[in-house]
Amino acid sequence: MKRFFRHRLGVIGLAMLLLTVLVAIFAPWIAPYDPYANVTITIADIYQPPSSMHWLGTDDGAKDVFSAMIYGARVSLVVGFAGALISVLVGGTIGIIAGYRSGWLGHALMRFTDFFLVLPDLALLIVLVAIVGQSLRNIILVIGLLGWTTTARLIRSQTLSVRERKYVVRAKAAGAGDWYTLRRHVIPQVLPLALANTVLVVSLAIISESTLAFLGLGDPLLISWGQMLNLGFTRGAVGAGAWWAMIPPGMAIVWVVLAVTLIGNALEDILNPKLGRHHLEPEVAVETPPPDVPVSAEVLFQVRDLSVGFEMPSGVVTAVEDVSFEVSRGRVLGLVGESGGGKTTTVLGALRLLPPNGRVLGGEVLLDGRDLTRMDDAALRELRWNRVSIVFQGAMNALNPVRTVGSQVVEAIRTHDESINQKTALTQAGELLELVGIPRRRIGSYPHELSGGMRQRSMIALALACGPDLVIADEPTTALDVMTQAQILDLLERLQRELSLAMVIVTHDLGVVNEACHDVAVMYGGKIVEKGPVARVFTEPQHPYTRLLLEAFPTLDDPGRRLASIPGAPPLLTAMPAGCRFAPRCPSAFDLCREAEPPLYETSSGVAACFLADPIAVAGARSD
Amino acid sequence: MAASRRRFVTQKVVFAVLTVFAVITFNFFLFRVLPGDPAVGGLRDPRLSPERVEALRERFGVDNPVFLNFDGGNVFESQYFAYLGALSDGDLGTSFAFRDQQVTTLLGQALINTLWLVVPAQIISIVLGVGLGLIAAYRRGTRVDVSALTFSLIMWSLPTFFLGIVLLFVGTTWLDLPAAGRVTIGAQYTDLWDQLADIVSHMILPTATLALVLLGEYMLIMRSSVVEVLGEDYILTARAMGIRRPKILRSHAFRNAMLPIVTLIALNLGFTVSGAIQVETVFSWPGLGHLTVDAVNQRDFPVLQGAFLLLALSVVVANLIVELIYGYLDPRVKEA
Repeated sequence: MKRFFRHRLGVIGLAMLLLTVLVAIFAPWIAPYDPYANVTITIADIYQPPSSMHWLGTDDGAKDVFSAMIYGARVSLVVGFAGALISVLVGGTIGIIAGYRSGWLGHALMRFTDFFLVLPDLALLIVLVAIVGQSLRNIILVIGLLGWTTTARLIRSQTLSVRERKYVVRAKAAGAGDWYTLRRHVIPQVLPLALANTVLVVSLAIISESTLAFLGLGDPLLISWGQMLNLGFTRGAVGAGAWWAMIPPGMAIVWVVLAVTLIGNALEDILNPKLGRHHLEPEVAVETPPPDVPVSAEVLFQVRDLSVGFEMPSGVVTAVEDVSFEVSRGRVLGLVGESGGGKTTTVLGALRLLPPNGRVLGGEVLLDGRDLTRMDDAALRELRWNRVSIVFQGAMNALNPVRTVGSQVVEAIRTHDESINQKTALTQAGELLELVGIPRRRIGSYPHELSGGMRQRSMIALALACGPDLVIADEPTTALDVMTQAQILDLLERLQRELSLAMVIVTHDLGVVNEACHDVAVMYGGKIVEKGPVARVFTEPQHPYTRLLLEAFPTLDDPGRRLASIPGAPPLLTAMPAGCRFAPRCPSAFDLCREAEPPLYETSSGVAACFLADPIAVAGARSD
Repeated sequence: MAASRRRFVTQKVVFAVLTVFAVITFNFFLFRVLPGDPAVGGLRDPRLSPERVEALRERFGVDNPVFLNFDGGNVFESQYFAYLGALSDGDLGTSFAFRDQQVTTLLGQALINTLWLVVPAQIISIVLGVGLGLIAAYRRGTRVDVSALTFSLIMWSLPTFFLGIVLLFVGTTWLDLPAAGRVTIGAQYTDLWDQLADIVSHMILPTATLALVLLGEYMLIMRSSVVEVLGEDYILTARAMGIRRPKILRSHAFRNAMLPIVTLIALNLGFTVSGAIQVETVFSWPGLGHLTVDAVNQRDFPVLQGAFLLLALSVVVANLIVELIYGYLDPRVKEA
């Protein structure tokens, strides 16, 4: 809807511009008078207010303002487009060379551009025009040659990013020449962005021309909007109250610039669509009343039939469907599966931390019997970090880059207990850092000053700041080197034992589950396919997906075994197969699997959503 | 930490000094090489007496080569080094149009007048722009946001001088504000308040024009900057921590979102100069911009050369200040 609205604005802009172009071309036929003609005038003809003879009145030379305005479109458009063409050609060339050549040439060109950016452009413009003379050709040249810097910067950064892309690097490694690489790979990638930028440069050129003309530096022989404003301004239109001599040409400039800007914005929108939403938009609590199901006392965290979807332009797409699991105090659950299986969406949905287009579609999330999905904002805030905290993956961005690690831990502590003063909180933060193996003196370090492992440790310290009962770790070891992975995992295990935390570890790494978890839930296509104690599920997997995952994973016990990868890819949210979601990749699938979705069956090692666990279904398949 | 900070500052200062030198050299060649050269062209100016012409020939060293002297003797005996020498004495020459007025004196007074206009306009537009941009981003898609966007779009499309003219019509017709100048000429003040009121009434229209133009730009950039920051992981962390939204905005989003704004203010100083030139012309404000336009119209090249140099140098210096502030705001840049 929003997108359409923006594009509609683009269409309006285009129509406005086309109208102006037509008016400029057919000016002699449209204008009621010829503003270039010499007429004999009397004092009484000057600054006549609008009338049926002169729709927009007359100016200081008794000329018809409306006709002059129509002719003025010619100069604006010619300077705007011709000037912008020069700017974009010069800027584009410099930008591509500066981005493509990383050596001294690129460097020198960049410094040159930076230098030009510092010069005050309008001052330079008027100085240059004053020096070279005020003809239309000179004005176009000067505006064109001074307007290249923004284009150069933009094209350079775009070229730099294209140059680093794999296929370009590969093409060059394969011996493609510079010219070939530029023509085949770089220029096509840079061109769309350059187009949106050109539109912007056109509007700048039009504004520059009218400003020059207003300052008395336009081509004195040509009628332009800026010149009309200049004549009105210097020849007493304001004093005479003759607004009609100045407001119409001014509005004409606004009209054209607005038209061009609307087109530019629409192009930018299409080429570079930004996600419309952000993390602070109000979230919606589920409103349906909860079903009445008793909760057992030792279960701390229970997710029941949780479904999560995303609002897409095409409608709501379900990403997680009917997921249930529970974690007791002192236990660790591993949520495992390939990426795209819905693991992270499940935990973010459970804690109401979904991206703004995410929605909890149904189910309950109980922490000590209280349902998080139906709680009001204040109650939820109170619960967060006090009772449940999260260790996010890739701690670089999960920590605020411009604040010290210590200040972030202190903030967490003091948010939930205002009675703690800054000094005490700082001492506590130091203790927490030591607890996770970071020297206390690093408390004043910024995230970028720490190694990847240290950042992950400080994220863990942050998660423990308010003494939570439940910690959710989302890919806590991903993107770390193997040694660090092992250390972080040991740390988590130790802390979990010492503080007897309940924990959910989201990971794609079966090794992590094997080492750190008591129970495991395997997810595929947004559903749990198998669930049970790790020791049982990993020794006797009941679901073919679990079995294949385990076979794809190397073990020390059987180093000679061939590792098998699972053919195919997980299904897209928008194209879920009918029947069992794993059936298209499953080596044991039979007809029923492609028709009906298997429910969760009780098995020797827990539960599994597979018809192989149903003797009747298997028998039926045999008899076919 | 301290060492890397020192290195950062040194690096920035060195680059600024190099840029200043480049600006001076550029300024020299701009006026010397192109037609309209104040030394050669200016010497034919009919407004000058023969004695002045002779004095100028002497000062510019017109008989020497332009850049380096290879005719034997002192290599530095050239027009370029004569210019540098005069510049180091603070001598920018004498105006063609205002007889016997030192360019430096003219520029000094004009610079002060321009600052009277630019500083309040900048402060107003930065404070309002940052605040409104923050609100627009937080309230994305609401009426507040749409109004803010529309306002920015219109401000972008309005040439500064035209906005000035519109305000001039409005201000003089309905609000009874003075149309031109910095004070009422020949006014007799009864007391200090009277004088102050006169000065302020002259400032309202030009300051408002400049502030409105800058406001549109700052608001737009602040909005998109905040929207981007609010999509970052650490905002999600802050939310997961149970921090209130307004506090997240204040203590996590604001400083990160300010980084691009600070850079923009630096890059925009040239833009501010452009705005000042136009506003001063419309409101006959006796500042640097007005002086520049007058000098162009009268082909008063020594003043023009001096004014351009001063404008370019103020942008370089202001840029340096902003970059040093940036280094303080963002701990990461010192490492780079």
